[in-house]
Amino acid sequence: MHHPLLEVTGWPIFIGRFHPVIVHLPIGFLLILALLEIMQRFSKIRVSQDMLRYILLWSAISSTLACVAGYLLASGGGYQEMLLSNHQWQGIAVAAFSWIAWIVGADQFRKKIQSGRVFYFATLGIAVALTLAAGHQGGSLTHGEGYLTQHTPEPFRSITGMQPSPEQADNGHRITDIQQAVVYTDIVKPILERRCTQCHNASKQKGDLRMDQIAMLVKGGESGPALITGNSAQSKMILRCMLPENDDKHMPPKGKPQLTQDEILLLSWWIDKGAPAEKRVADLKISGQIEPALATIVSNANSAAPERAMKPSLFSKEIPKANVKDIEALRAAGLIVNNLSNDQHFLEVSAVNSPGFDDGECTLLTPLSEQVTWLKLAGTNITDTALSHIAALKNLSKLHLEHTAITDRGLAQLKNLTHLEYLNLTHTKITDTGLKTIASMKSLKSIYVWQSAVTDSAVAQLTRQYPKLSIVNGVNVSGLAQSIKKTDQLEATAKKH
Amino acid sequence: MEKLITELQQTKVLHQTRRHFLQSCGFSLGALGLGSLLDSCSPTTSNPSGLSADAMSVKTPQFVPKAKRVIYIHMAGAPSQLELFDYKPELLKYHGKDCPAEFLEGKKFAFIQGVPKMLGPQGKFNQYGQSGAWISDYLPHLQTVADDITFIKSMHTDQFNHAPAQLLMHTGGARLGRPSLGSWAVYGLGSENQNLPGFIVLTSGGKQPDAGKSIWGSGFLPSVYQGVQCRTGTDPVLYVSDPKGISRDLRKQTIETINEINRQSYEDIQDPEILTRISQYEMAFRMQMSVPEVMDITKEPSFILDMYGVKPGEGSFAMNCLLARKLIENDVRFVQLFDWGWDGHGSNARDNIEGGLHEKCRQTDQPVAALLRDLKMRGLLEETLVVWGGEFGRTPMQENRNGLVMPYMGRDHHVEAFTMWMAGGGIKKGVVHGETDELGYYGVKDRVHVHDLQATILHLLGFDHEKFTYPFQGRNFRLTDVEGKLVKEIIA
Repeated sequence: MHHPLLEVTGWPIFIGRFHPVIVHLPIGFLLILALLEIMQRFSKIRVSQDMLRYILLWSAISSTLACVAGYLLASGGGYQEMLLSNHQWQGIAVAAFSWIAWIVGADQFRKKIQSGRVFYFATLGIAVALTLAAGHQGGSLTHGEGYLTQHTPEPFRSITGMQPSPEQADNGHRITDIQQAVVYTDIVKPILERRCTQCHNASKQKGDLRMDQIAMLVKGGESGPALITGNSAQSKMILRCMLPENDDKHMPPKGKPQLTQDEILLLSWWIDKGAPAEKRVADLKISGQIEPALATIVSNANSAAPERAMKPSLFSKEIPKANVKDIEALRAAGLIVNNLSNDQHFLEVSAVNSPGFDDGECTLLTPLSEQVTWLKLAGTNITDTALSHIAALKNLSKLHLEHTAITDRGLAQLKNLTHLEYLNLTHTKITDTGLKTIASMKSLKSIYVWQSAVTDSAVAQLTRQYPKLSIVNGVNVSGLAQSIKKTDQLEATAKKH
Repeated sequence: MEKLITELQQTKVLHQTRRHFLQSCGFSLGALGLGSLLDSCSPTTSNPSGLSADAMSVKTPQFVPKAKRVIYIHMAGAPSQLELFDYKPELLKYHGKDCPAEFLEGKKFAFIQGVPKMLGPQGKFNQYGQSGAWISDYLPHLQTVADDITFIKSMHTDQFNHAPAQLLMHTGGARLGRPSLGSWAVYGLGSENQNLPGFIVLTSGGKQPDAGKSIWGSGFLPSVYQGVQCRTGTDPVLYVSDPKGISRDLRKQTIETINEINRQSYEDIQDPEILTRISQYEMAFRMQMSVPEVMDITKEPSFILDMYGVKPGEGSFAMNCLLARKLIENDVRFVQLFDWGWDGHGSNARDNIEGGLHEKCRQTDQPVAALLRDLKMRGLLEETLVVWGGEFGRTPMQENRNGLVMPYMGRDHHVEAFTMWMAGGGIKKGVVHGETDELGYYGVKDRVHVHDLQATILHLLGFDHEKFTYPFQGRNFRLTDVEGKLVKEIIA
């Protein structure tokens, strides 16, 4: 597949990348042609023969172009060889059969052969069928095998005899008593299925290696056995994971989900104990480090998809881009306006350089009500009036109001902000009443009230009432004096020892 | 006048470089097919960042950052993890015994020779906070904030001498010439407060760190991104006040004229360093107002001064911690504190465990704990990453310089394992990451290399360390060079 000449310039890969674009033309042409022919058979519609021939000609031309582009794309490498080879020959066959159909459909040809019409329909039928097959293979090449049907819902899953969906399969591995768990099926196999068998299974055998059965691990692949019973230090399936991630031989390949330290530990432990197929945890000796590793595996297996739950819901939202004029207006008022990150349109606004910012200028925020997510108006001249404008910033998650003249009355207006997580009210006139009105906001995670009029007892009461909310009141003069005295005493006693 | 004209001529000659020769011969050389070479030589592309006078304007990171600012506290000389955090009761049993051969074979140390004796932990350890973190009685104040901290006990580095190890820690490479962590941060994110530098350095302990100013230098980045060192004590920045007999207006006119001249020579020569100089003049003028204000601690209430243990008018680590909080409160991007004097070899009355380490801990423990507490109650800790550590660790063996018994208790430089901690912006609370063996010699679980730490800090600031680069001498450079792996386990 590697032509030295082709690699000299950027042209081949440039043309190659157009393959996914061009490839849809013959698919469309051939399907519409088949549809028209069928409809005509049943006399539903009438189409001119010239038009059908014209569509067929373009099917043949575009499928040939798609073949050329596809070949150039594949020459870049990186595709699964078996699947690629199938797809390539099916694609070429589509082009070939389209040309044959075009030739046998010609008037001169049909007059010479008696069953020309039958021959034409046969070749056209084959071309259409091959288009569907090649299209599916192409999809598998780019998205991975099983992409199409990955989320097939029940009852179709059972009817078609598919394996239960991955989420349900995970539930199957729920471990109740670790001592009774079978080491291979309950611990080792799930690790291999998570990290290895996508590329090393019965149908896809990268490096000629299968990792879905113990016997296959022992048999190994291109570079010898993956597992040497009783000796994890010599077993390639462990060694490859320990190589630096940049090493070509490192497994799983760079960019794929990697094994954790605990997983490697457990696999090594299982191999060192002779890689038994049926023994339970209780049957094997558990050495020092294995115990915590087992505990983590159990807790991970029993908690449902913790990683997905981590993603903050706000930033997964798509919001429109802010109007440049609105941003410039804020900047002209001396504010910093900056995107939170390069990949979306949420904005951070800060008045750190314009302490004179006041209620009147707050109206400049209104056109950006969807975009402003972090807002810092600390130390500015704003009052309660400003808070009515701020209350309209519906995606606001972080708000700095420290060192301002706001009061309880203004604060109450923020109640309807559904994404607000951080609220800084230090050095303000906020009292217990104001704190109580907003403490019930579900999204809030932390409120800072040091040097406001909020009392310690109110903080204690609200902390009990909303245990997930962190209300920080900081130290006061007397509390601090006590704690310093205490540590000084500690230090003094430490010196005596 | 004649002198000035000669100088002007000399300067012009100085700028007639090979670049100009290639440029003016561009046409004929281009005919020789060297067009592409010239392209890379023209002054317009020698300024790849598109640097302009607003090099310090706020910029967008690659993804939503978890920390907006950093305070990096470096204990220069390297504190002993075995006396402070990494509790090894087993080491006590080996106290005074010969070091096992496996720890010495093929190893190099800065001073240890032959077979040293093991040295048991000298601190009294206990577990603190709900997380049960081990902290010794050397740090009684830090014990009270244990639940805000994540400890990395399995740090390791490549360098066993102070200067290269400090360079590696702060610039990602053991040799000179690379930008420091703080420079990368302001290069990537810019500076929010336009009246203060984005990257400020404060030192204490009587001496500069061994690696000198390079550890807050900007390396190959434009020099506008280097750390600005401020003095502690009465006059934070030298010459920041107006000289006698010169009014502020006159000063302003002077600076404007100088900048106008500089701007003209930039038009001529297109050297981006001239832009740096212009912006530094402008910054210096603004700093005349803002720096004395932010560095003035007399307006701080006395209980805050007590909390840090600051004595007004005395340049100290405690003062630097308080200033760090004030700078962060004013949206300075990166504050770097260096405290010298942690090199406890046991070779003299100051550099040892029984006296010297105690004294350093006494000077720094209360201010560090106060800094965390102060940031927290002001709502700043959530957005500010605090990093604490040395450039390497100390050996579980007692140092035996020149094969002799040392006058005091001390440990040699150790690269295989040491403890650092982080707190605040985007870091989990009360977590211990990594583990060392029974004697504290090797990291045995979740080892974290210096480059891994750097990758993690950049991640918290919103950058993928593999994609955050600067083109220099024909290739894209990164803080982490070609190494570094994110320590996901400690990210909240």
